[in-house]
Amino acid sequence: MRLLQWASLGLVTLAAADSNLTHESRNILPSVFKPPQHFRNVNLVRNINLDKSYAKETINVVIENIDKEPQSHYYLPFEPGTIGRIGAVEVKDKKNPERGGFVAEVTELDPYSPTEFYKITFPTPLKPQEQLTLSINYYSLSILNPLPAQIEQTDKQYVLYSFSVYAPSAYVTQKQKTKLKLPTTDVPDAVVLPKSLNAEGKEDPQKSGTTYTYGPYGEREAGATQEASVRYEFTKPLVHGKLLERDVEVSHWGGNVAVEERHWFTNRGATLKNHFSRVAWQASSYYNPPTSALKEFRYPLVVGSADAYFIDDIGNVSTSHFRSSKREATLELKPRYPIFGGWNYSFKVGWNGDLQSFVRRITGSSDGYVLKVPFFEGPKQAEGVEYERLVTRIILPEGAKNVRFETAVPIVSNSTGLHRTFMDTVGRTTLTLTAVNVVDELRDRDLVVIYDYPSAARFRKPLTIFAGVLAIFAVSWVVGNLDVSIGKKQKTA
Amino acid sequence: MAASQSLEGPGVRFFFEGESGRNTRGLLRLIILCTIAAAAVASRLFSVIRFESIIHEFDPWFNFRATKYLVEHGFYKFWDWFDDRTWHPLGRVTGGTLYPGLMVTSGVIYKVLRFLTFPVDIRNICVLLAPGFSGLTAFATYLLTSEMSDSPSAGLLAAIFMGISPGYISRSVAGSYDNEAIAIFLLVFTFYLWIKSVKEGSIMWAGLCALFYGYMVSAWGGYVFITNLLPLHAFVLTCMGRFSPRLYVSYTTWYALGTLASMQVPFVGFLPIRSSDHMSALGVFGLLQLVGFTEWVRTQLPSKQFQTLLRALVLIVFALAFGFLVLLTVSGTIAPWSGRFYSLWDTGYAKIHIPIIASVSEHQPTAWPAFFFDLNMLIWLFPAGVYMCFRHLKDEQVFIVIYAVLASYFAGVMVRLMLTLTPIVCVAAAMALSQILDTFLVASSPEDPETKANGSSKPNGNANIHEKIASAIPESLSSTKSAVVGIYTRLSKYVIVTACSIYLMIFVMHCTWVTSNAYSSPSVVLASRLPDGSQHIIDDYREAYYWLRQNTHPTAKVMSWWDYGYQIGGMADRPTLVDNNTWNNTHIATVGKAMSSREEVSYPIMKEHEVDYVLVVFGALLGYSGDDINKFLWMVRIAEGIWPDEVKERDYFTPRGEYRVDDEATPTMRNSLMYKMSYYNFDKLFPAGQAVDRVRGSRLPTEGPELSTLEEAFTSENWIIRIYKVKPLDNLGRSHQEAGLFEKGGKKKKASKRKGARVLRVE
Repeated sequence: MRLLQWASLGLVTLAAADSNLTHESRNILPSVFKPPQHFRNVNLVRNINLDKSYAKETINVVIENIDKEPQSHYYLPFEPGTIGRIGAVEVKDKKNPERGGFVAEVTELDPYSPTEFYKITFPTPLKPQEQLTLSINYYSLSILNPLPAQIEQTDKQYVLYSFSVYAPSAYVTQKQKTKLKLPTTDVPDAVVLPKSLNAEGKEDPQKSGTTYTYGPYGEREAGATQEASVRYEFTKPLVHGKLLERDVEVSHWGGNVAVEERHWFTNRGATLKNHFSRVAWQASSYYNPPTSALKEFRYPLVVGSADAYFIDDIGNVSTSHFRSSKREATLELKPRYPIFGGWNYSFKVGWNGDLQSFVRRITGSSDGYVLKVPFFEGPKQAEGVEYERLVTRIILPEGAKNVRFETAVPIVSNSTGLHRTFMDTVGRTTLTLTAVNVVDELRDRDLVVIYDYPSAARFRKPLTIFAGVLAIFAVSWVVGNLDVSIGKKQKTA
Repeated sequence: MAASQSLEGPGVRFFFEGESGRNTRGLLRLIILCTIAAAAVASRLFSVIRFESIIHEFDPWFNFRATKYLVEHGFYKFWDWFDDRTWHPLGRVTGGTLYPGLMVTSGVIYKVLRFLTFPVDIRNICVLLAPGFSGLTAFATYLLTSEMSDSPSAGLLAAIFMGISPGYISRSVAGSYDNEAIAIFLLVFTFYLWIKSVKEGSIMWAGLCALFYGYMVSAWGGYVFITNLLPLHAFVLTCMGRFSPRLYVSYTTWYALGTLASMQVPFVGFLPIRSSDHMSALGVFGLLQLVGFTEWVRTQLPSKQFQTLLRALVLIVFALAFGFLVLLTVSGTIAPWSGRFYSLWDTGYAKIHIPIIASVSEHQPTAWPAFFFDLNMLIWLFPAGVYMCFRHLKDEQVFIVIYAVLASYFAGVMVRLMLTLTPIVCVAAAMALSQILDTFLVASSPEDPETKANGSSKPNGNANIHEKIASAIPESLSSTKSAVVGIYTRLSKYVIVTACSIYLMIFVMHCTWVTSNAYSSPSVVLASRLPDGSQHIIDDYREAYYWLRQNTHPTAKVMSWWDYGYQIGGMADRPTLVDNNTWNNTHIATVGKAMSSREEVSYPIMKEHEVDYVLVVFGALLGYSGDDINKFLWMVRIAEGIWPDEVKERDYFTPRGEYRVDDEATPTMRNSLMYKMSYYNFDKLFPAGQAVDRVRGSRLPTEGPELSTLEEAFTSENWIIRIYKVKPLDNLGRSHQEAGLFEKGGKKKKASKRKGARVLRVE
């Protein structure tokens, strides 16, 4: 199922379209809002995958419409403050994954509300007494916290994950359990809950390998919580991208698609108790133990990418390799220094791609084009990368119009504007898309942009340059012929 | 030419004769000049191709930072810029203490390009400004030389010499974004305009000259060279009896307008009328008025009365002017000569009185091989060219001679001033070489007197007589032949021309080699070769600076020796205590004292100056010789200049007068903060007792130094940069030494975990 977002953003109708959109997508609810109890969760299984530096949660829930009317809005509540760290909420019909049309969007509440909701809209309303199995997927970012917060350079790092064993629900849940998938068996602390809570009276949690299962639990009212936490070894960096800016510049004249990504990374891992010791670092580099420092970024690019660069505020970073062959194109980036907990590193990378492999002319249309690029790329790390905010800018050729787009990455805003560069007269049409709370698992999702590029617009630039040069010649001819001498000019034979 | 014409018919004749021939030659000249400019630019791009587009060395980092400030905040903010991120806690009135020409030039270029919507990075403009201007310098040299010589080739030769001679390249490679980058162009172009105005006696040219002089003043402190050279030229011309209305017009115009223009720069301000460096220009201005007056009087009076009058007048005026000058100097209205100026006359002056100036390598006297290294064959063509000026000694040739003499002296005194010598060497050498080539590179032989006689249709009695005599006398008597100047044999032409070509080729190769090897290293980035021959880049400076930039508080003060001040400001973007501006000797000495004293003395100094981090450069692991231990003696000397009782250079030498860092090092040396910071933990990299300093080539003491008031915060990959964090004051009010001892006694386990027992220091 794809989250479809079509927006007609023709330059002329821009303002009107924009205002329409905002009215439609806004759901301002009063702070006392309580979701109507139309549903009941018959059975709920929550899987929390903690392999990466963020938590990937999957809630599989069988819901039943207990209202008399067909209903199509299901609310998913989040505790205050957490919704800002929830990203990429996606809903599917578990039984029929191909069925599309489920829309999950944040409801806007006034700021004093204790709880915030995602509103899930079904493609077709659910009839009374009918059941539906939803599979709700989302990521929680910045959810792991190192404990102890300060460690020695060579120490293992432990992180604490706090959660509620009851899945977030705005409805009564009859039966539920929560499964944690940890990356390790080194778990010094996992909160043990009293057996009385457990529906089967078993030990809570149940351990099996790296999986910890809390529950099953019996009927719980809406909004029930039961705090629990696990602390486990995670001697890997907690890579956190504060911002990722991505520019994709399409040039029809150059036959080129230039991509640049600007990153602001920080390592959320445990900070160093003593300062960084180069001696210890060099000693450990021989046997390469796991470390909480971020040593390298691996950046797989679209095959055929070329001219990659890796620079930061003060110039080229020489410690990078670009491997490019027919099968792969990988950037191996080594930051200037290992990034320990609490340290930052910002840089930009860029590369070029062949226009042919990204842009097609729409068949049957004289000047319609379709561009397909990854929504974002960014490094692909074993420990996972999360981004707080992601701004993708598609810079189309000057004169492109009637821009529409479609992407599977949940975005929060879009706009079109103009960007003036390289002797532009009016500026290039630019589509800016913003997404928040994105993780690197979404990096393969595409962004499809459809636009019209009339051939008249193609010749704007050559004509501009021609006119400019002509003007220079004309001016210099006029200046050259001016006679500014004071005295009489002596005629030479 | 004549021979080829007859062979190749009317088509060629059309292009090389008459009006269109002139145009063709003009076009060719233009193409050649463009090619020369391209060669000049291209030869400066080694570092960009080899490394990247990066600002080089030290001073350019400040200029770059200032340019960014100008571009971001606009001209007026820049003019009033008070920089509180340098010279902490004093700050620096940056806008009023710099030459803004360079920044404004690149700022204007940036704005123009941005206006044309070129997304050019300001850094790239700064990096490529010097090569770009070197192309213009080549053109200016062409103009200047063309004024000196009638030969069509002299200007072009001078242009290419100027374009590729290492003496100029050394200061204008891509990335060397320094004042000299544009100043040499302005210097040469101002001289060209001056010559032009002296020749023509035109107010327009003199006005242009003043304008460019003003630009030059705004760009480089070396403008004083022009300020003194032009008056000297005028003075010498007057003394030679060559005073003319042309000279009077051009000098007075230049002086009046130029002085006004130069006073517009805040950093210069009233110097042109108050400092001794500028007094010669004023004096000559007065002199020219007097001479002009007497010239006028002479036309009015009979000569006898005139002579008496003249004598009296000269004496009175001279006595008055001199007395006035002395009075002003004594009373302090006119500033005495600056220290840098004295060091031009006495090379030992700086070492005694101003160690900061002496500590800069480019202020050292030039070694003889440097002349050959920087100028190659030009250095021996140079005297020939100067000699040729004496053969046609006109006003402009006098200028060349004066310039040559002065610049040669200055270049001998200070390595840096090789830069001012280079233009004149190129001009003079080009004149000499073009003379040779003009003589030998003529394809046709000079016409024989005989053929001339036969060919001439007009009957010529004299020729006939000559002919008769020539035929009558045996040919062996060469003295009887009429003197014909010219080269007849093709062999000698070939030999000379080939020799010249070979010399020129060697020159080009030498220039390329020198540029590539000596002048194209950014010095921020070091290159080394891996065993397999591939290039490995040692990027420690930027690693550490970037670490500072990203992981410390934006207002964290960094203390380092002044060499790195500009780089820290530019790359790490952190406030510094001292930098390459060196305007406050005491502040630098304070840092020198902190570096060279014991921790107990240094810590209060650092705390008083709110130092958060201390940065040292350490090359012992890599054998990088430009490190702080090697610069350490200058820190000691500068500190000793202010606190002779507390810091003594002698204490850092062993009794036998050696500067050592090993077991034999003096206690003062081993307890100094610089020594401790450099070698702290260094021994742990090696097996016990095996630590070796590769720069000094000595084995280090078994026990590494202990630090109690600082803690190591970051060390770069190759240990070139080490950054220490200054510990906060102890919570219990103890000294850090006491606290360290207590911790050692109380937590034995922890102490043993850190390798190497701590040594109790009783002081």
